[in-house]
Amino acid sequence: MPDDTKTRESTSADGNGHTAVGKRVTRLEGAAKVTGKTVFADDMKMPGLLHVGVLYAPQAHARIKSIDTAKAAALPGVYAVFTAADLPDYKRNDSNRNGLIFPDKEVLFHGQPIAAVLSEDPHIAEEATALIEAEFEPLPAVLDPVAAMENDSPLVRQPLVDVDRSEARGHVSVETEETEQQDEPSNIASRAPFARGDVAAGFAEADVIIDRTWRTAMVHQSYIEPHSTIADYDASGELRVWTSTQGPFHVRNELAQAFGLPENRIRVTATEVGGGFGGKIYLTELMVAALAIATRRPVKHIMSRKDDMIAATPAPYTHIELKTGMKRDGTLTALQARLIYDSGAFPGAPMLAGCILVGGYYRCDNIDIKGFEVLTNKVSVGALRAPGAHNATFAIESHMDMMAKELGLDPLEVRLKNAVAEGDLMPSGQAYPAIGLRECLEAIADSDVWRRRREIEATPNRGVGLAIGGWIGGLQPASAIVCLNGDGTVNVTVGSADITGSNTTFQQITAEVLNVPLDMVNVETGDTKTAPYAGMSAGSKTVYTVGRAVKKAAEDLRQQMFELAMKRLEVEPEDMEVANCQVQVKGAPDRAMTFKRFGRLSTNFGGPFPAIVGRGAITARKIAPSFVAQAAEVEVDPDTGGITLHACAIAQDAGFAINPLSVEGQMQGGASQGIGIALWEEMQHDEHGRLLNPNLLDYRLPTSRDLPPIETIIVEVPSEEGPFGARIVGEPSIVAGAAAIGNAIDNAVGARVDEAPITPERLLRAMSKL
Amino acid sequence: MAKQLITFTVNGREREVAVEPHWTLLETVRETLSLTGSKEGCGTGDCGACTMIVDGRIVTSCLMLAPQANGRDVTTIEGLEAIGSLDPVQQAFIDAGGLQCGFCIPGMIVAARNLLDDNPSPTLDQIREGLAGNLCRCTGYTKIYEAVELAAERIRGSA
Repeated sequence: MPDDTKTRESTSADGNGHTAVGKRVTRLEGAAKVTGKTVFADDMKMPGLLHVGVLYAPQAHARIKSIDTAKAAALPGVYAVFTAADLPDYKRNDSNRNGLIFPDKEVLFHGQPIAAVLSEDPHIAEEATALIEAEFEPLPAVLDPVAAMENDSPLVRQPLVDVDRSEARGHVSVETEETEQQDEPSNIASRAPFARGDVAAGFAEADVIIDRTWRTAMVHQSYIEPHSTIADYDASGELRVWTSTQGPFHVRNELAQAFGLPENRIRVTATEVGGGFGGKIYLTELMVAALAIATRRPVKHIMSRKDDMIAATPAPYTHIELKTGMKRDGTLTALQARLIYDSGAFPGAPMLAGCILVGGYYRCDNIDIKGFEVLTNKVSVGALRAPGAHNATFAIESHMDMMAKELGLDPLEVRLKNAVAEGDLMPSGQAYPAIGLRECLEAIADSDVWRRRREIEATPNRGVGLAIGGWIGGLQPASAIVCLNGDGTVNVTVGSADITGSNTTFQQITAEVLNVPLDMVNVETGDTKTAPYAGMSAGSKTVYTVGRAVKKAAEDLRQQMFELAMKRLEVEPEDMEVANCQVQVKGAPDRAMTFKRFGRLSTNFGGPFPAIVGRGAITARKIAPSFVAQAAEVEVDPDTGGITLHACAIAQDAGFAINPLSVEGQMQGGASQGIGIALWEEMQHDEHGRLLNPNLLDYRLPTSRDLPPIETIIVEVPSEEGPFGARIVGEPSIVAGAAAIGNAIDNAVGARVDEAPITPERLLRAMSKL
Repeated sequence: MAKQLITFTVNGREREVAVEPHWTLLETVRETLSLTGSKEGCGTGDCGACTMIVDGRIVTSCLMLAPQANGRDVTTIEGLEAIGSLDPVQQAFIDAGGLQCGFCIPGMIVAARNLLDDNPSPTLDQIREGLAGNLCRCTGYTKIYEAVELAAERIRGSA
């Protein structure tokens, strides 16, 4: 800020003593987003650009007999055609979806990429794929994961070797690992058993036992921007990638390994991500980079919606057998579960998180949980917001209501009685740090919908349901740089992709530490060549980890200014403070040096100060799980089974909401996705493993007509390490929706649907009307 | 394929462009006029990210062929902003937090602007109905409803 604008309104501390954090702040780049100026990957053009058309496998499981590209290559305008045989060398690993560009022997799912056409005209590239003549010999397609576990099941694929789970580890940090041991060929990719106590004794103690199987559909992240990637490779051996990814450094590291390139010769820019939700980490980048390396031309690949639905990485179908017992007083006595996650044709299903959560919400002395990640000839799955959590939560949270109902207990009281708190153990044996699950339950009791509960229940065909959810979150090292400019303003550089406002939160953190107005701080996400390291924007950890690094960097910048001011202000750093865009002596604000003066002295010709650059780097080792409680009001049409959502409220522990506007947005967005999973979203395959609904009309997303305004209640139980007590936020809000709505439907009409989505047809069957 | 010449008005300016008959309005505006604010999210008219106003009515421009736009008046997201100031609907989306990733937002704002042109004081139900053709995956719509209400209030206040 210029020295001569002393009249400018300075920030003032609120009741919490904060000036910039804890405030509702609008998006730093809001104007670009509302005017259409934000550049997404598909908006980029460059000289010599080639477009990619991809041929996707038309069968779920088949041997490739031959691929003839002659006709495609002969189409005028086609630049080149690539099959597995034509690709440049890369470190191929057939056991990992991301280690294999095109197969040469065997197709493992309908939609697997098998060849590509390049053209300067995207229409010609697309048209030419239809001219590729591929011959297949069909093999048995294994589609049901439960049947696939049987010893006599045909095999989905060749045995797995060297499975890479680095991407999955970015989403959740749990102190346990799945086992991949395979004595003999099997479709079970991995297992995870957890046990404590004696479940038989626990069930013997119970006054009510519920034993039921729950299913959840394969669902798609359905970001509105499909996967979009551009790559270029120049004669000096430098690979440049612009891609819609949540994890630019992860993309860089994977590409470096694949092509044997040093990491400093690969420059990955995370272009604006038009929605990711876990699904945009690393998928098409390997293919596009290989094509750029082969052609030495910039290559652009934009998936169509159909291609994205058949060939990206949706969330798994699950089959969960759950048996729980409860005493008359509401004490949970035993929990036994068998969780089967359908991983598709490659490993990567988030079964582990499901196991941790199914037995991780409530205290229970006797548990026996077995998880299985099972291969089938379907598209391989990936992460979707709290991957694996909603599936397991649908089961356990339905059981809690069913047991409470049998015993005549209040569903909220039963949950409060058993809810985990600090020191309680997850199934893995890891203890929870301070968490706010109980506080969320207490908060949801105060929501408008839960307070109207009696009145709603008295209305025919209307009901209210409740469920909890939660997520452990990911952990990764992070860093940030804060630079003082010549005019006293500040630039923050981070390496984390900003999808839904993390840079605005970093602006607040920096402004808080330096006690300056927000507009003194600007924030930029750099690329992997210019930005300091950050983990992927996944696992809800961006503010929790990168935010800490930003805070540390701003504190470092402040300390440097204090030390540089010692001589002129004639006091020690401990006796200085920042206020009004200056460093001043505590209690004597007229003895001061403005930020602008620091800026000039550290940047001008002959300036006496070194350039002032704050550095923050952290490692994150302590989890900061976040929980939610969600309530919903539904109305059921008893004749058609139609379900209308009338109201929804969600309470979430944010630790400390640095930007409540943004935290509410995360809560509402996640809740809406949970509602979609509960009522509409389902990828449907035919008996040959082909996706029947690869579009946004037949794959039904929540629309504005479906969703009432969602009430949010922010709970704040501070985390130990997060900036200003913030904890993970982004993912937990998706977790409870399916169970909350299932419980509301049962409350409305006394019918329990054990398969999500709860469609009118399934509900009418549960009501014995079909 | 032989190109044909079409003349249409885009954001108040008359434009003449040569198009192939199978090009969509969306593709034509993005590729030949470099107005890339309108997005393709599905290409089948289901998501609304490509929403434009054509002769006063909203269309999904991924389904309209370029020759069909001949002689018509087209407004895209780039046409809402007057130099130096945002349209009240654009400002309200920022202020209400009605945007996250932002990919659906240009189409959403165009649809909201058209809704308010037709009905300056919509009820919540009318907003929900009016935006039902525009999918947003990030926000759950709550803050979008609030943004449209805020915009309506401001537009009424300044009238």
